[in-house]
Amino acid sequence: MLSDLLLRLRSLFRRKNVEAELDDELRFHFEKQVSKFIQSGLAPEEAKRRARLEFGGMEQLKEEHRDARGVTFIETLVQDLRYAVRQLLKSQGFTAAAVLTLALGIAVNATMFSLVSAFLLGRPPGRQPERVAVVTSVNPVPGFHPDTNPVSAPNYFAWRDANHVFADVAAADEYRTVNLTSQGHFPEERQPEALGSAAVSPNYFSVLGVSPQLGRTFSDGEDQPGRDHVVILSNELWDRHFGSDASLIGRTIRLNRENYTVIGVMPASFRLMGFTRQLWTPLALTAADQTAAARKDRSLYLFARLKPGVALEQARAEMVTLARRAGETFPETEKGWGAAVRTLPDFLVYDFSIRNGIAVLMTTVGFVLMIACANVAGLLLARASGRRKELAIRIALGAGRLRIISQLLTEGLLIAFFGGTLGLLLAYWGINFVRAKLTFNEAISAVPLSLDWNVLLFALGVSLLCAVLCGLAPALNASRTDVNMNLKDESRAVSPSRSLGRLRTVLVTGEIALALFLLVGTGLLFRGIFLIEHQNLGFRPDHLLTAGVTLDKARYRDASQQALFVRDVIPRLQEIRGVEAVAVASDLPATGPATVTLQIKDQPELPANQRLRALDVLVSIDYSRAAGIPLLRGRTFTETDNATAPRVVVVNQEFVHRHLQDQDPLGKQIRLDVSGSTPEWSEIVGVVANVKTHSEGTSDDPEVYEPFLQRPVPSFSLMVQASSDPNSLASALRKAIAQMDAELPLARVMSMPDVIERQKAGNPFFVTVLGSFALLALILSAIGTYGLIAYSVGQRTHEIGIRMALGARSPDVVLMVLWEGMKMTAIGAAVGLALALPLPRIFDAMFYGLHLREPWLYFILPAAILVVAMLATYIPARRAMRVDPMVALRYE
Amino acid sequence: MPDTRIDLPQGTLDLLILRTLALEPQHGWAISERIHQVSSKTLFVQQGSLYPALHRLERKGWIKARWGASENNRRAKFYGLTRLGRKQLEREESAWRKLAAAVAQILETT
Repeated sequence: MLSDLLLRLRSLFRRKNVEAELDDELRFHFEKQVSKFIQSGLAPEEAKRRARLEFGGMEQLKEEHRDARGVTFIETLVQDLRYAVRQLLKSQGFTAAAVLTLALGIAVNATMFSLVSAFLLGRPPGRQPERVAVVTSVNPVPGFHPDTNPVSAPNYFAWRDANHVFADVAAADEYRTVNLTSQGHFPEERQPEALGSAAVSPNYFSVLGVSPQLGRTFSDGEDQPGRDHVVILSNELWDRHFGSDASLIGRTIRLNRENYTVIGVMPASFRLMGFTRQLWTPLALTAADQTAAARKDRSLYLFARLKPGVALEQARAEMVTLARRAGETFPETEKGWGAAVRTLPDFLVYDFSIRNGIAVLMTTVGFVLMIACANVAGLLLARASGRRKELAIRIALGAGRLRIISQLLTEGLLIAFFGGTLGLLLAYWGINFVRAKLTFNEAISAVPLSLDWNVLLFALGVSLLCAVLCGLAPALNASRTDVNMNLKDESRAVSPSRSLGRLRTVLVTGEIALALFLLVGTGLLFRGIFLIEHQNLGFRPDHLLTAGVTLDKARYRDASQQALFVRDVIPRLQEIRGVEAVAVASDLPATGPATVTLQIKDQPELPANQRLRALDVLVSIDYSRAAGIPLLRGRTFTETDNATAPRVVVVNQEFVHRHLQDQDPLGKQIRLDVSGSTPEWSEIVGVVANVKTHSEGTSDDPEVYEPFLQRPVPSFSLMVQASSDPNSLASALRKAIAQMDAELPLARVMSMPDVIERQKAGNPFFVTVLGSFALLALILSAIGTYGLIAYSVGQRTHEIGIRMALGARSPDVVLMVLWEGMKMTAIGAAVGLALALPLPRIFDAMFYGLHLREPWLYFILPAAILVVAMLATYIPARRAMRVDPMVALRYE
Repeated sequence: MPDTRIDLPQGTLDLLILRTLALEPQHGWAISERIHQVSSKTLFVQQGSLYPALHRLERKGWIKARWGASENNRRAKFYGLTRLGRKQLEREESAWRKLAAAVAQILETT
């Protein structure tokens, strides 16, 4: 009701007025009553006395009145806040400690949450991105993310035409490299550049629901040969390479030696995490892409807009059915392959595989926050028990239980508020710091990290949670105050009450358990990173200079021309001064090459999902010499292992061990299921030592090396072994390539150690951050333990005095205090250990390629935490030892 | 001055106040005096209940407060019935009459 609200507001904001009016009204009443009594014949003094008696307590009356006004809640809050501020100002040391502790806890949480906000909560661009489904193939062979494999062109056509769930389906070949040649006036401006591009079906942009910043997107028919020489640029490329020149639309640029007309520029906001490209060309699919052979070439990601009213589940069911149908019709290539459907936001995050890392970080900071809250709760608890007498008096004067609780909660709220504010300031700095560190690859640095609304809201929520967590236990505890006991006892004689002691034990053990859990967790990850950093990769990365080459179809039309280029380039590079060896490889060592399935002659053929697998690398003659991979048996490749010679392969030790059960491999025949070529038997002619599959992992997998000349590919890496600093050869390398082909760009010219550094993708940073959080947790819980024990010693000064007066010696007292602390620590450590036991398994499942079994961590870390807790307890224990019985007993 | 006071049954105070104000706006003291007089000194409203009740009624919008001059020209707060209040009074009156009649009937028959 309006009048109600107005009156309430008036009472609230014009409080003075309202109070004065009430005073007036009551005084008027009182005087009328007095004059009435006088009229009835009483003496003035007697009349006043009678009236006052009848009135009862004036203040009580006013209080009832205020309740009737209905603003007591807010007034109480204001009162509580004022009182809390006074209390906090009175004990500045306590306030500073509590606020700082919470600020640290909130700051690390807000900082890490900015990652969640940027990576997990960020909405992809476009109209209703959650209605866009991404369809991928599911590889029957288990591996890393087997359900994000691209789809073959025949399946794209079949599924696009047969489904009833999608309004439109677009296809994108996301990972192409094109060579852009500039038309600068000076030769050094004309350096060709290799760019990440995507070939997309003309409806790609309309399915995603994005519009260009300039120009237009592809129109129907531009995927037909002859009309497909049009290109759309990313904002980044347009800005960096063409100086944001708007007149570029309609002009031609040179891509892969051919002229393409620029028809549009996408806005800077068009970023799809791992699928952020620099330019887009039409995906021209021809009759060749419809053949059965094309089924092996899975290179398309399908983006589909769901029909209105169709749920993702329906779409998933339909795609699974279509994939099964393909498996039945084309068992040779499709058997066992399935289809996966995810929404676009979900897919991008999943494919980026950052969720686990963020989950670990958030859990860690969550625990840090809990420890911080426990510390502040401990401080409040200690203070509350110091204020027992004050509370008892207030209760005796009529304060209700709820009133006391709300008073103490308000204090917690105020601390949390200041902690949150300070925490946000720290987080602002923290987020800038993390952003500066997250630059290890383009996709990561493309995601803007900032203190946005999500982070602000999160910080607010966390602060409120802190307020409740910190304030509730002490508040409930204090409100149970027994008035009689507390007013009677002489403030000092008794040791803290039982329930207080129990709560303290819970806090200390909880803190110790959480801290130990975090220490074991980060200890495991630290050890993992350490092992990876210091492992023998199986080759010599130093002195290697590398560069990526992608031969375009325009000049290097077929395999023989690609082979020719390689045969030509190696001697040219060898002529450079300071070059020891030159090699070409489809994948650099330890960079996770592609996996093929294979068949060994005279062994039974296995079903699709159980076929033998091996990493497959195509290498030139000098590969193992340039990379420093030892040859163990047989021979490496020679000039004669060319296209016309019988097929040969070299395998690694792990291959012999796992697939040939350590039998003599030389002379054995194997057949690789390679896409795009007819399968042929190849003879194993040599065995080399293992090279790690990924430099950032510890696994050794079976590996097959094929001679490059027997199966040339257009995209490969150059490896140049230098006699000194490899980076000093970079310009000579560029010059040599330019002499061969001025329009051929070199991508990623960098030394092998740099390649390895990039592959770590911030893992060391991630683990360092985790480690500092665990350390923070340890320090906080040590402070917390110290604080609570010190407080309890302070409380027990009197008791200790009595004990000493009765003959207890100093060591006894120290032992008693230490024992108390150690008991709690031991319980906490036991709980923490139990929690940490499944961690290695969990990490194995979360982080691909990490296998951690470090039992010694489970001894060392608890021991360390016991030592820290011992120190935290020892300081108060020494103070207890020095208690002078006379002083303690006299002390009031 | 021996009064034969009885306690007011729960909820009747509002009705009595509304009824008293139905004639003309009154200040607090006059309301309690009037109830005292009209009830032949049987009913006595404590200040402790009167003022909270007045403010409750005001919040409900049944009465309206206005500052005015009392009979001897002192500033006093006068309460008057609003239109809503008048309707409420009718409702409560009829409810009370029914209740009283029913109670009386039960008392007489048993």
